[in-house]
Amino acid sequence: MPKTHKIEKLIEKIEGEATLHFHMKEKKISFVDIVFASSRGIEQILQNKPALDALVINPRVCGICGHAHLIATVKALEDCYEDIEISNKAKIIRELTLNFEIIQNHFKWFYLTIMPLLKEEQNVMRAAKPSQLMSKAIAHLAGQYPHNSYAIVGGVVCDPSPMDMLKVQHLLQETIRFFEAHLVHGESEKLLVCEKIEELLARGGDLPHILNKIVDQELQHCGKSFDRFIVFGENSYFQRGKASKTRIQPNISEVYLDVEANSNSLAKNVLYKQRYYEVGPLSRAMMLKTPLIKDAHRRFGDSLMSRILARVCETLQLLNHSLSLIKEIDLDEPSYIKPSTDIQHITGEGVGAVEAARGSLIHKVQLVEGTITSYQLITPTQWNLSQGTQENPGVSQQAMLGLEEIETAELVFKSFDVCSVCTTH
Amino acid sequence: MKTKLFWLQGLTCNGNAHSLLNYAGFEQFLEDFEFIYHPMIDSEHTLSSLVQNRKPCDILLIEGSIAEDFQRAGVGIVDIIALYAPEVKKIVTVGTCATFGGIFKDSPYHDSSGLLFLEEEPVTRFAHLKDKVLSVSGCPIHPEVLANTLYSVREEITVKMDSFHRPKAFFAYTVHNGCTRNEYFEYKVDKHTFGEREGCMFYDHGCQATYTHGSCNNILWNDVSSKTRVGQPCMGCTEPHFPKRDLYNTKKNMGIPQDLPLGVPKRVYLTLTGVTKAFKIERFSQKIFDA
Repeated sequence: MPKTHKIEKLIEKIEGEATLHFHMKEKKISFVDIVFASSRGIEQILQNKPALDALVINPRVCGICGHAHLIATVKALEDCYEDIEISNKAKIIRELTLNFEIIQNHFKWFYLTIMPLLKEEQNVMRAAKPSQLMSKAIAHLAGQYPHNSYAIVGGVVCDPSPMDMLKVQHLLQETIRFFEAHLVHGESEKLLVCEKIEELLARGGDLPHILNKIVDQELQHCGKSFDRFIVFGENSYFQRGKASKTRIQPNISEVYLDVEANSNSLAKNVLYKQRYYEVGPLSRAMMLKTPLIKDAHRRFGDSLMSRILARVCETLQLLNHSLSLIKEIDLDEPSYIKPSTDIQHITGEGVGAVEAARGSLIHKVQLVEGTITSYQLITPTQWNLSQGTQENPGVSQQAMLGLEEIETAELVFKSFDVCSVCTTH
Repeated sequence: MKTKLFWLQGLTCNGNAHSLLNYAGFEQFLEDFEFIYHPMIDSEHTLSSLVQNRKPCDILLIEGSIAEDFQRAGVGIVDIIALYAPEVKKIVTVGTCATFGGIFKDSPYHDSSGLLFLEEEPVTRFAHLKDKVLSVSGCPIHPEVLANTLYSVREEITVKMDSFHRPKAFFAYTVHNGCTRNEYFEYKVDKHTFGEREGCMFYDHGCQATYTHGSCNNILWNDVSSKTRVGQPCMGCTEPHFPKRDLYNTKKNMGIPQDLPLGVPKRVYLTLTGVTKAFKIERFSQKIFDA
């Protein structure tokens, strides 16, 4: 019987920290414990608070995806109403600002996390510049970024002028130019319709450079998991559903979600019908059948190669989609329609699901006369980092199995874009 | 010589770290400052090594609230602060959690607080460090406020501080100063509906800008706007009691707002209101682009 020994590694700079305990058998990883040692207890903090206070508290779950928490909150609260009207204008504006947050996240992840893991010097300004542009675009509509509470039950507080929308449009265009100057050189429009990964790898830019490096180091097949994907948030771009490999089932329900506590970690596991699923840009691309990602998936499966590619491609997709969304806004519509019943008279429960940068984010709330009696957050990283058993491991645990190098395992782990504060919240 | 910064995190959301990345002068900032540790930016040392052996450092930055049982890299945050406090020139509390306890003073950690304060009350644990402390409150910090506070330490500029150790250059103002909705407040036009460019959120929707210390409308957010400008009430995020309860409603006694503008006696407020209410100013009853 070959002996197992353990290697412990503290993973830093993941919006907090986590400890990975690698079980090594015959020089290969046979299992990984993922331990989060701290939780801030947001769900308890929300207990007995007036419903609308959640709009101020919840963005503070996370400094990098707090806006997704705001939008999930407002949707969950609105879902407590039997009948509530939200203007199309407000819906589009909410979708735009959430897109901008996802975009800034992806730039930061690629330049601050992924490039240094592949032994490239960290270029902070390549993360900061596009993030600043997108934060500015959010601020035009929401006042500031991070941490605004501009989405309220009934719509949004802002009333942007055509000039404001022009400024937002220019910031998007400037960010696309940044993408073309640094991430993938040349016209980005062709990239969106590109069907073969070779076309991308032949281009200049930081993304092809990194992907070529991954191929050179023969890591392109590392990090495969169950090839199961799920997407709960739906909007004018993302599609809801689940997939096993390329087989898509569009009908899913929050009713089948299970949240389970862990004995040795403060993060809770999330399952759908007792199975673990991957969430995030790769899952979203699988639902959308994005040509380039389909090609990557066909050849490399749900590996770190596909995951990295999907995330960067999504950045460009959302930039372009946001530009077209702006054109659809009718600024003459109301931004806010006062709900017919004040929330302090609302008793009921609601669910709000959105796609955040790292995947599906679900908020569940119960109100009694406008006071929060129960609040549950299910975050994307909980899906991806669920800690299963040796017999039934979680998505990222499965992805690290069989690897020999701890360094590679860290790269695979971080290819899920880990966020410690969201995982334990 | 670059000024060495150690960015240490307690119970936090990382929002302050992300907010600083939005500082327009960040490229120059990185020429003048070096992080011996930062939650996102690569640094010479790992957290594990820094908490075991003290490394040279000029300013200790603390983000997040502090609790006895809270650990970073296996060491209590209280011990890490104690290790670095004698070495550094200044300690800067970054954000409202590190300054007053903030949102996470209510986390399950029983003694969670700011470095020197729990809300307004002084905390004894680190009282001996108070001469070294500068507080930059805000949830999150305004990037310009933090960056320039750090520059003042680097340049050894004497900074006037308020009683919570906040630099007066930024915290002597109220968030109301510079708000584009000021006229509706000055002339007591008390009608406000969300989703409009017009109106003031002070009367009904809980806006705390007239009695909250901060430069949000003086130095705009992300260089372009502010919460109150777009129509979100100020939530008082720089202040000791953030977050208060029932944030979207103005508390009133007999129809009069309970919290009045900073330093304005109730009698003055009522007199002014009485005078302005006697007039109807046409411009303020119209949509701003129609007037």
